[in-house]
Amino acid sequence: MPPTGLEAVYLANRDKLVRFLRARGADDAAEDLVHDLWLRVSGQMAGPVGNPLAYLFRAADMLMIDRYRSRRQAERREQAWEETRAGDAASGEPEAERLVAVRQEAAQVERMLRALGPRKEAIFRRARIDGVPQRRIAEELGISISTVESDLRAACRALAQLKEDIR
Amino acid sequence: MSEDRNDVASGPVGIDDEALDWVIQMAEPQADWDAYLAWLEADPTRAERYDRAASALQDAAIAVARLPVSPPATAAHPDTADAGGDPTGWTRRRWLGGAVAAALVGAIGLGVWTGRSDPYIVATAAGEQRTVDLGDGSSIVLAGASEVRLDHKAPRVAAVERGEALFRVRHDPGRPFDVRVGDLALTDLGTVFDVQRLGRRTRVSVAEGAVMVDPDGAALRLDPGQAVIADGAVLERQSIDAVDVGGWRDGRLAYDDATLAEVAEDLSRQLAMRIATAPSVAGRKFRGTLEIGSLRNDPTLLGELLGVSVRRTGGGWMLEPRR
Repeated sequence: MPPTGLEAVYLANRDKLVRFLRARGADDAAEDLVHDLWLRVSGQMAGPVGNPLAYLFRAADMLMIDRYRSRRQAERREQAWEETRAGDAASGEPEAERLVAVRQEAAQVERMLRALGPRKEAIFRRARIDGVPQRRIAEELGISISTVESDLRAACRALAQLKEDIR
Repeated sequence: MSEDRNDVASGPVGIDDEALDWVIQMAEPQADWDAYLAWLEADPTRAERYDRAASALQDAAIAVARLPVSPPATAAHPDTADAGGDPTGWTRRRWLGGAVAAALVGAIGLGVWTGRSDPYIVATAAGEQRTVDLGDGSSIVLAGASEVRLDHKAPRVAAVERGEALFRVRHDPGRPFDVRVGDLALTDLGTVFDVQRLGRRTRVSVAEGAVMVDPDGAALRLDPGQAVIADGAVLERQSIDAVDVGGWRDGRLAYDDATLAEVAEDLSRQLAMRIATAPSVAGRKFRGTLEIGSLRNDPTLLGELLGVSVRRTGGGWMLEPRR
């Protein structure tokens, strides 16, 4: 069977994808990862892709974000175990009070959304949760693309910073 | 804008605006991957700054997706809401649906098409009990009218959709066992523990080993004889009798300040009878142990045990205030 569109593009751009993965911090794993990437992408193709190369780059980018996140998560878990263990041993009294309301983090996010205002919230949700391109959001709302751009940037900064500060 | 941050990369620096701008850019259909590659290659610290920004933004999107669309003011006064040049009512309503679907950019994207998942559901009828063998020495016992979602391809992951389940997990240091209950996450290390969904609350009780509740947030550790009630954003720790954990398998139901509505829901599940509460007693608290065997023969015993009067209704029993 001749290579399908996506496969042809993959083969033609394999070196560039390796270079990209390396620039994304994959180092020596880049060769393995590009192979991994292809297995994932090819196994999951539902239909034709508008821009195959962009699709592959985006997949590679997300792969690296995923790796970063699972590394971070493992570190945090490790740390959390250490801390609670040490805490229990030292005080004898579990950290009950401290933890009763830790999940009120949600309330902080909610407050931030309120501070940002409904339009920025709407744009953030549309872009970062629903995955809608900025141009279409601008059309939906009947506002300029530059307004969407600056609103989205402001919302992303505020919310990403908040999440970063919380942890 | 962020050139000076390179030398403090090891410390807890804030989110880098430049990297965050790239993250936002690269989600767009016309993203310029060559320009992005050039930006990355110009400075080896940028990849990590980008990851950090992307990850924080993903966390933020997940947190926002869990919240209802604000503000309530819009729904009540569609004409006066939105101080700054605002969306119209119809788009707002459409978003309510869209946000629930929550196809989180990036976050879920890869997960979906790595997609080597093969999920299946195990459910029980009211009054039934069933044991699911997970193959690695771990097992789950399901109480009546309960449901868990499992995955053939990910045997150390389970989601409790409703009801109650007792987990007996084989310890594997490299592969923690992850359980999801609504939006609450649990991780354990070789454990016997029980997960119960009661109304909108979730109770997790540990008999052996240890469970980490909300490992990426509260990171609350439960040891044997400890339980936690998760109610929305609040986790409340409780002490329990470790031998009571999973006692429902032998027909013993232990409650610690559960509301009568919750007790009735639980009993309905275990007894396969419809037991309801009158509104005036639904919120009353109960602490103690009920024996399923005797209640099955005579549900009116609940009257004495719970301090209510028990009335036979068409399809079941109603718990009402005593007169």
